[in-house]
Amino acid sequence: MYARTGFITAVYKINRSLTRLKPTSISPSTRPLIWKHLYSTAASNSDVNRVHVAVNDDRVSRISSSIRVIQDFPKPGIMFHDITTMLLDPVAFKHTIDLFVERYKEKNISVVAGIEARGFIFGPPIALAIGAKFVPMRKPNKLPGAVISEEYSLEYGTDIMEMHVGAVQAGERALIIDDLIATGGTLAAAIKLLERVGANIVECACAVELRDLKGQDRLGDKPLFVLVSST
Amino acid sequence: MAAPTSDGNRDGVAKDDRIPRITSAIRVIPDFPKPGILFQDITTLLLDPVAFKDTIDLFVERYRDKDISVVAGVEARGFIFGPPIALAIGAKFVPMRKPNKLPGAVISEEYSLEYGTDKIEMHVGAVQEGERALVIDDLIATGGTLCAAINLLERVGVKVVECACVIELPDLKGRVRLGDKPLYVLVS
Repeated sequence: MYARTGFITAVYKINRSLTRLKPTSISPSTRPLIWKHLYSTAASNSDVNRVHVAVNDDRVSRISSSIRVIQDFPKPGIMFHDITTMLLDPVAFKHTIDLFVERYKEKNISVVAGIEARGFIFGPPIALAIGAKFVPMRKPNKLPGAVISEEYSLEYGTDIMEMHVGAVQAGERALIIDDLIATGGTLAAAIKLLERVGANIVECACAVELRDLKGQDRLGDKPLFVLVSST
Repeated sequence: MAAPTSDGNRDGVAKDDRIPRITSAIRVIPDFPKPGILFQDITTLLLDPVAFKDTIDLFVERYRDKDISVVAGVEARGFIFGPPIALAIGAKFVPMRKPNKLPGAVISEEYSLEYGTDKIEMHVGAVQEGERALVIDDLIATGGTLCAAINLLERVGVKVVECACVIELPDLKGRVRLGDKPLYVLVS
């Protein structure tokens, strides 16, 4: 559903050849160079096996056209992708949730982590539909109980993301949701928090990707799924 | 107020077999955000998928045949409960946000805090005159934020059918502050 067959075959072949190169006889200092070489000589772009974009069908078209782009917010030069207009179209909003639910419902996911605040809009409906718990990842000093914190970089300075102690158990399979991925900084912080408690992150999922900002590069080996990929 | 209605609602507080599980899923944390406050933490409710689903179902059952086209949720915990209700009843979801978060043109309403004031904002054009709306938050304390949300919606000609919260802190008399606007809660 999410890619053409030839594409899937290419991805499979790339993955298989990468796996074959993993033997321990390759010294750690050489290995990174080989990985980099293989990624850059892969058929199309080096990220094909990590970023999945939903097939552009009728549902995705409706979703895409319901998102409003606002220039120069929060500051000059930025084109802000405003999902609030999609929330005003109940059909588009339902399609958005359905696309995520269809992808994740049979993946034994027990945790949906949503990033404050717009991740709180998309995460809970998905969690409810797949029978998972919803875990809010919040700005500092909002969560009332004991928390673990992760600091992450902003363009200028840093910020902190927090999660409640005990919300997630080691070994749980998790999904991380936000409305949009830009630089990937907040998603990377969420990944760290969940991994620190031993969760297994299955995928990061966003409605919109700003692909020129290459956010997926900050996700490490975690795959990313988006509905709309924008420049 | 009136005697219990046929759906088990007495005085704006739900009565249903699913309520005990919801109530026990909510964690109370003393002295947060400051000494003397008993904070009602709904994040533990969200960790119990059955209790969370029951919470949403109770609201959906109440509102689905009421011709509601707008569910307004107050940032940030209203964003957790509002959207699932909106999706189930086929309404739009309108986020009511702290200042400078919404990117487009907004209307703002100022309201009092214990010390000082705060503002809540809504996008221009999100709602139309004559629409019927529900306002959702996780909890009602003094009712200040809910009143501000009601004012914003009424200023653009929307009819606020009811305010709905998971939890009410009755001693803080938020229900009184809402005046003629009905309030429905699951746990009081």
